[in-house]
This record gives sequence, structure tokens and C-alpha cells, in this order.
Amino acid sequence: MKWLSTRRALALMIAPALAVYSLYFAYPIVYSLYQSFTNAQAFGSTTLVGAKNYTQMVHDTLFWGSLRNTGIILLVALVILLPGAFFLAHLLSGHVRGGGALRAMIFAPNVIAPILIGLIWVFILDPHIGLVNSLLRTLGVAHPPVWIGGTSLSPWSIGVVYTWQTVGFIMTIFYAGIRMLPHDVMEAASLDGATGWQRLRYVTVPMLQETFGITTVLVVTGVFKIFELVFQLTGGGPVHLSETLVSYTYWMTFSNQKYGYGMALAVVISLLGVVVTVAQMAFMRRRRAS
Amino acid sequence: MNNQRRRWGYAHPRGAAVALAALTALGLAACGSGSSGAASSTAGGKVQITLSMQNPNVQQQDPATYAIVQAFQKANPDITVKIEGQTVDEHEKAMQVAAQSGTLPDIFWVYNSLASQMAQQGKLLDLGPVLQEGNLTDKFPKAMLSGYTSNGTQYGVPYQSLVTGLYVNTSILQKYGLSEPKTFDELLNVAQVLSKNGVTTIAQGASKSAYSVWAFLTMLDRFGYEDKYQDVLSGKASYNNADFLRLYQHIEQLAKAGAFSKSVSTQTYVQAVEEFTSGNAAMLDSGVWAAGDIQKSSVAASTKFWAGPTFSDGVGDQNLYMNAPSAPLVVSAEVKKSAAKLDAVKKFMAFYYGDSGQQILVDNAQTPVTTYKPQVDASTQPVFASVLSVLQQDGWHSPAAQPDLVVSAETSSAMYDSIYGVIQGVYSPSQALDVVQKTIH
Repeated sequence: MKWLSTRRALALMIAPALAVYSLYFAYPIVYSLYQSFTNAQAFGSTTLVGAKNYTQMVHDTLFWGSLRNTGIILLVALVILLPGAFFLAHLLSGHVRGGGALRAMIFAPNVIAPILIGLIWVFILDPHIGLVNSLLRTLGVAHPPVWIGGTSLSPWSIGVVYTWQTVGFIMTIFYAGIRMLPHDVMEAASLDGATGWQRLRYVTVPMLQETFGITTVLVVTGVFKIFELVFQLTGGGPVHLSETLVSYTYWMTFSNQKYGYGMALAVVISLLGVVVTVAQMAFMRRRRAS
Repeated sequence: MNNQRRRWGYAHPRGAAVALAALTALGLAACGSGSSGAASSTAGGKVQITLSMQNPNVQQQDPATYAIVQAFQKANPDITVKIEGQTVDEHEKAMQVAAQSGTLPDIFWVYNSLASQMAQQGKLLDLGPVLQEGNLTDKFPKAMLSGYTSNGTQYGVPYQSLVTGLYVNTSILQKYGLSEPKTFDELLNVAQVLSKNGVTTIAQGASKSAYSVWAFLTMLDRFGYEDKYQDVLSGKASYNNADFLRLYQHIEQLAKAGAFSKSVSTQTYVQAVEEFTSGNAAMLDSGVWAAGDIQKSSVAASTKFWAGPTFSDGVGDQNLYMNAPSAPLVVSAEVKKSAAKLDAVKKFMAFYYGDSGQQILVDNAQTPVTTYKPQVDASTQPVFASVLSVLQQDGWHSPAAQPDLVVSAETSSAMYDSIYGVIQGVYSPSQALDVVQKTIH
């Protein structure tokens, strides 16, 4: 079996996957990068325009608005989604009656297509026909907030809906992580007189650092990919004020047929995703080291 | 073993996470939506041609085209027409991808801005000889064909006539003691009265249908758009000019008077139609394609079609209605590679634009695109008859094209945003005009 460990054998075994990866992942990425330096449109000749698309982005108020909206959704996800998912997992990892059913219920939104989730939440958040504002009006609120379709609250609402949609999935990862924790450590902590809160603070959370790292990366990349929720909840409106980076890129590329600029936006989104992820991982590593 | 792992770079969690972030974002952006492509064949002795349209359910949403296809297949049993459809946005994107990958359907609907680019790249069949062979050229009013030519080739034919304006529920106006408006000042008065009574004057839906501003595009022509737009596009004039500014200020007046649907930001065009057909709005910004749905609704008897308000401070002739060629039907250049398929396409064109096809259009509440004189029963098609009566007014005429169809996709998109921006109170009139001007290079 030694031949299996030779470089040649390993290279041969990797080759098919590498070929598929190159064709379907690496090539589109390199091609997108090239397109981002051109004035490519739907059709017609394409010429290199240098960094023009990137300098145009600096002056593009809609791009900055989309970035701001994506940042708001990320903030909501990091502040509500991650802690919320962890505490749900922690609560349900104990001997809770009907815990399995509760986990299934919390996970359920994750198996619904995002486009349908958007549709469901339109009926909840619409400022005029939505359930929330109908309730608020019944309670005597004369001018309830414009959750979606207005000029300010839409990204916050999208963040909340994204949290509702994703919390079950992230909770499941935390749940698996908690269940994998060694019982003897917990027992030792209990025998040493640690309270529930102390066990959580000084044993569970530190031992789940890797899990926190993975879930954070999933949340960050997930937020940078949000499209269907925006499309269904607000259509990016009014007049693109609630676009996220991906929905704005989609609109610019396909509706406006500005492929070159759209690809430049895609490159920037990718870089932002990488930067945020690297920063987060560095932060986690530093915490582990300390 | 450890050495070997290091040498071959076994997945490191941090590296994998970073790669995941990069790949998901760029991979998503790089991959366009797939096109259904041209699924045509000549199997089993039958020729199959593909017709790809801008409605997901052609039978339900575009009954005129569906009925023409059924009648054509009955008249030509050796030809099968495979109908495909998706929403306007999805369809446009799918056609872009299909053109780039060489998988265009045989016959398809597409916006003119994209069609003209496809024609320049040789993706479309020159329909000039097809029309001449079928003696169809003379059946079209010149304006119906002239917008679809490029370098001497006729790359498209009008799918349907673009007759747009406002449907008016006269019973709502009567209920509040209002008469049918003719001028902008009268329309503004209607909006003020209805708004006080909690009634929507004009049903509009901006969500996922930013293009649904047809009545306001005709109003642009009442402020001299047709004479100005070429100067605007060439840089000799600005879209932000005093004439257009007056129109946008009027739109703002309507918005401030509470004329538009309360849910204009979150409702779609389809929901706006429902708002009107359920009797909750006095007017609907739409076109002849909605006549069928309105005729089936409870407001049919009291609905009249209106070309929109005239303006005392407008520019040029105010007696305008919109009856311009809509987006074209085009044919893939690949069709000429198969004689059987080309023949089938010729027969389909001859049927669609022949008198039989045009009467089917009329039977389904669409105005003919040829010079065919339609026969309409006003008792069974009252709303459609009202549309036709507007087009038959003495002294009234149509611009050659709808304003958004003579500019780039980017500029037309900005025009929609500018109008809806003012309607929703996001832009001031001057800001809205700048939004459009910025797209003109």
C-alpha cells in the first residue's frame, strides 16, 4: 500500500477533483476578475478600462448604501443570531421535556426556501396590511413603524428575518458541539462547586471556541450572500435604498446590463468577505492564545 | 504521517474558512442563471419550434399569444410550438445568458435595448425577407417596424401594441361627486378629494415592478420628450431641464395629495391591479393587456380607459395617447441552419401577423399591430372597446415610441426609479432628474 502514499499517486487521485474545481470554480473567479477591469455589457466588444469600475464604485452612493445595509444585517446577525442560537442550544441540551420537538420547530424555517420566507414575512411586516402593524394599530399606535418599504428600517427588518430563518441551523451546530463536550470535565466542575452560570462561562464557552469560529464564518458568509429575502421583502426598494451588496450586484449586472461594473462589485464583496472572516479568525486566535 | 500531511497541505480550518468566504461570494456572482435554451427538434416528422415569452404562465397571463399558438397548430398540424415562459426580469437575464452560450430559443420576446445588441452581434435572423415573402411588410404601419431595424436588417417585429394609460373607475368618482378628469389640475383635485375620503386615486406597485409607470412615460411626451431625447442622449441637452422638472413637480404634487396606493413601496404591479379590480382604487396605471382582467372583474361596467391628463404648462401637442410598438418578437439566427424550422417560423409569422392572428389578438383584448380593422363587440368587451375608442379620437396621435424604449437599459431603469422615487417621496423632482442624467454618458 506504500504506492498509495507516493506523490504521483496522490496527484493522480486529486487530478479529477482539481479539474472540476478549476473548470467550475477557479475559471469563473479568474474570468470575473478579468471582467471587472473591462466595460463588458450584455453584448458587444469589451475593452479594458483599468481600474475605472473600482474608482466609479467610490462615488457610487447606491454601493455605499448597499454596503451599509449589509453591515446592518451583519450586526443584527452577530448580536442576536449567534448569542440567541447558542443560548437556545444550551437550553435544549439539558433534559427539556419535548426538546426534540422544540429543536425541530426552531430548525423548521431553515428548510423553507428563502423566497417563501420573504413572502411569509411580507404579510407580517408590511406597514399597511402586515400583522405586526395591525396589532399595533389595535393597541392604539396611530403611526406604527414602516418595517419594510420605508427609507430606514428595511435592513434591520431583513436582519431579523434572516435571524429567524437561520437560528435553527446555527443552534444545531452549537447543540452538536455542546453534546460533544466531555462529561467528566462538567462533572469535575460540578464537584468543585461551580454553579450553572460558572460552568457555562468558564467551561462550556471556552471549550466551544472552535464552534463559535465556524458559526461566525457561516453567518458572515451567509449575510454576504443574502439575496432572496431582499428580493421578496422589498425588491431592493424604495429605489434601491434597501439593496444589499449581492442584490445590488445582481441588479447592476443583469437589469442594467453593466457586467464589468457588476463583476467589480462581486470582487469587492469577495474581498470584504475574506477580510471580515480573517479579522474574526485572528480575533478568535488571539483570544485562544490569551 | 505528520510530515506527509504538512507537505500536502491538509485542510487547515482557517484557510478553509477564508476560501469558503471567497468562493461563495465570487462563485455566486460569476454564475448567471441558466437558460432553458432552444429545445427544438424535427423528430417524428413534426417540426418543433420554441416560443419563449415573458410570462411564467402564458396560457393564463398572455391568453392572446396562447390562443394564436393553438390556432396556428390546428392550422399546421405538422408543426408544434413549444411555449416557454418566465417573469420579465428572469426572462431578460435568461435570454442574455442563452445568447452568450448559443442556446437561444427559436422565437422569443425581448426588450428592444437587448434585441438591438443581439442584432449587432449577429444573434438574430433578418426578418425582412421573411416578412416580404409572406406579403406582410405592407400590413404594418411604418412606425411599428422602424424601431426594430439595425444596419438595414429587420431584426424584430412588434409583439403587441403598447397602448398604455389609466383605467378609471367612474363609479368611485361619481360616489364622491367628481367628474372624469381631463387636465392635470382636475386630476389633482380628484386626488385631494379621494385622499380625504381614504380612497386611493391611482393604484401603483413599485416592488419588483419598477417599470410600471406607463402613464407617466406618456406624460413625459407631453413635456416634449420625443423632440428632446436625442439631444439629451448626445449631451447637447440635459434630462434635468426646466420642462421635465415641471412634470416631476406635478408628480410630486400628486404624491403630496395622497394620490398613490399606500402600499406602493411593497406591493407589486399585480397587487395594484387587484387593488383596482376589487374597487379600492379609482384609477390604475396600466395598459391594454389589463383590459381582459378588468373585464372579468366587478368594476368592468364602470371602467373607462383614459390616455392621461393634459397639462396647461406642457410642451407641444397634448392630444397624445400611447400606441407604440411594444418590445419585439425576434428569431434566433440559428433557425436558418434548418430549412424545416425556418419554414415553420415563416408560417408562424404569417399566421401571427395575418388577419386571423390579429383578430385573435382583438378577441383577447389586445389591439392589432397591423393595419387590420378589428371587429369588437362592445357589449362583451366594454373595457377593450373603451381602449379602442381612445385610439380613435380625432386629432389625437401617438408618439413613435414609448420613452423608456429608446434609451439604454441603464437609463430606462433610472427613469423608472426617478418617477417612483418622487412618488414614494425619496427624491425631490430635481434629484430624480439627476438620477437619470447620471446614466447618460
